[in-house]
Amino acid sequence: MHHARKSKKKAKPKKKPAKSSSPPAKALRLTFSYDGDKVKLISQQRTEMIVPPSDPVTGFRQQKGFWAEVKSESDKTLYRQVMHNPTRNDAEVFPDPDTPGAGISREPAPQRKGVFVVVVPDTEKGNEVTLSRSAPDETGPESGIRALASKPATEILRFKLKK
Amino acid sequence: MGTSDGQVLGSTKIVDAGPATARWNVVITSEGYRSDEMALFAADAQQFADTLLRTAPFDRLKAAINIFRVDVTSTDSGAKDPKKCGGTGAKPRTYFDASYCTNGIRRLLVAKNSRVIKVINKQVPQWHVAFLSVNSQIGGGSGGGVATFTKFFAGIDVAIHEMGHTAFGLADEYEYYSNCFESGHNKHSGSEPSQPNITTNKNRDTTKWRNLIQATTPVPTTKNADCNKCDPQPSPVAVGTIGLFEGADYYHCNVYRPEFDCRMRTVTQPFCAVCQQVIVKKLTPFLPT
Repeated sequence: MHHARKSKKKAKPKKKPAKSSSPPAKALRLTFSYDGDKVKLISQQRTEMIVPPSDPVTGFRQQKGFWAEVKSESDKTLYRQVMHNPTRNDAEVFPDPDTPGAGISREPAPQRKGVFVVVVPDTEKGNEVTLSRSAPDETGPESGIRALASKPATEILRFKLKK
Repeated sequence: MGTSDGQVLGSTKIVDAGPATARWNVVITSEGYRSDEMALFAADAQQFADTLLRTAPFDRLKAAINIFRVDVTSTDSGAKDPKKCGGTGAKPRTYFDASYCTNGIRRLLVAKNSRVIKVINKQVPQWHVAFLSVNSQIGGGSGGGVATFTKFFAGIDVAIHEMGHTAFGLADEYEYYSNCFESGHNKHSGSEPSQPNITTNKNRDTTKWRNLIQATTPVPTTKNADCNKCDPQPSPVAVGTIGLFEGADYYHCNVYRPEFDCRMRTVTQPFCAVCQQVIVKKLTPFLPT
C-alpha cells in the first residue's frame, strides 16, 4: 500500500514589515495651478513610482517656507515635502557673461501664473493633503512687490486624496 | 501658435539605470527645434545628461538615475523675444510657446508649462524632475514646475541649480535680492527657514548641519561687519570647510549658509557638502538593492 507521505510544509519565514522609512512604490501625482496667490488642485493621478523620502514630520510648525503634507484621518503628518515656493512673486535672473562680476539676482514678477506638481506616497493611511506657505511680510523694511516671506507658514489648501 | 506648431514624436531613454518604476527619472523635452533639428536636440540632451552625471553627487548616484529625452518638434527655431524688453522681436511658432520677457523681465524665459507637463505625463508617467531645453543662443531660463534653459553659456549649470530647488527643496544661498548694495534686505528677521541648507540657528550643537561641522571650525565662521551690504571678505577657512557663513536667503545678515560657496550661491560652483548630503539622502532609495 502506498502511503502518501505527509510532508510538513516548512513554515515560510514571515516577511519583515517594510521599514517606515522605505518609500512605497505607489504614488499620486498632484498637479496644481496658481495665479498670483491663488492655488488650486487640477488633478490627482495614480502612478507606480518611488517617492523620495519624507522631510522631517515634526518640529516644523514655526518654520517659514513652502511644503506639502500628507495627513492621516487623525490629522497626523505622515509625509512632508519641503519645496522651493513655486508660487513666489519674483523670479531668479541669471547674469550675462559679458557683465563682469554679475551674479544671480531676483526681480519682482507679480503677475506669475502656472502649474506645479507634487508627488506623494499613495498609502492606505493617507487621507488628506495640505499645502502650507509663508506670506510675504508686508510690514517689513521692504514691503510691496519686493517683500519676502518671514513668518511661519500657514495652511493655504487642503483636500482629500483620491481613494 | 501652440500644439498646431509641431508634433510630439515620442520619448527615448538616453541613460538607462533600470525600470522607471524603481529609479529616479529625469526628463528633458525639446522646445523650438524644427523637425530637421532633432539630431541637434539629441546632442543637446546628451550633453545635459553627461554634465548632470559628472556633477557631484550625481556622479556617485548613476545607478539610481534614468534620463529620458522627449522629442517634440516646432515649426520654427528658437523662442519669442519681444522688442519691449530689448529683444529682437522674433516670434517663432513653437509647440510650447516659450517666450523671453515674461513679466517684463528680459531673461525670464517661460513656456506653457501645463502643456509640457501634459506631454511628459503621457510620455514618461514616472517622471520626477523635468527640464525644457529651448533651442536659443540667447541667455535666459526659469525655475518652477519645469526648469527651462537655453544653449547659452552656463545654461546647463543654471538648470542644475534650478533642479536643486525643484527636486530637493534647496534654498538660494546668495545674500542679496537684486544687488549687494540694496536697502531692505539687510537683516533676516524671520522664522527658521524650512529648507535644509540655510539656517538662522548659530548654535553649534543644535544647528541643522551640526554633524558636519568640525570642532576646530569657528562658529559662526564668518560675520558680516556691515549689514547694509554683502560681506566682501574672502573665506577665512579652507575650501570645503563646513561651518556657519553669514549671508544667505537674500539677506546680508542673521542667516547662515554651510560653506563659503555652493552651486546654490554661484551656478558654476559644485554643490556644497550639505546640499550633497540632502541629494544623496533623497536619491538613496532609488539605488538598486
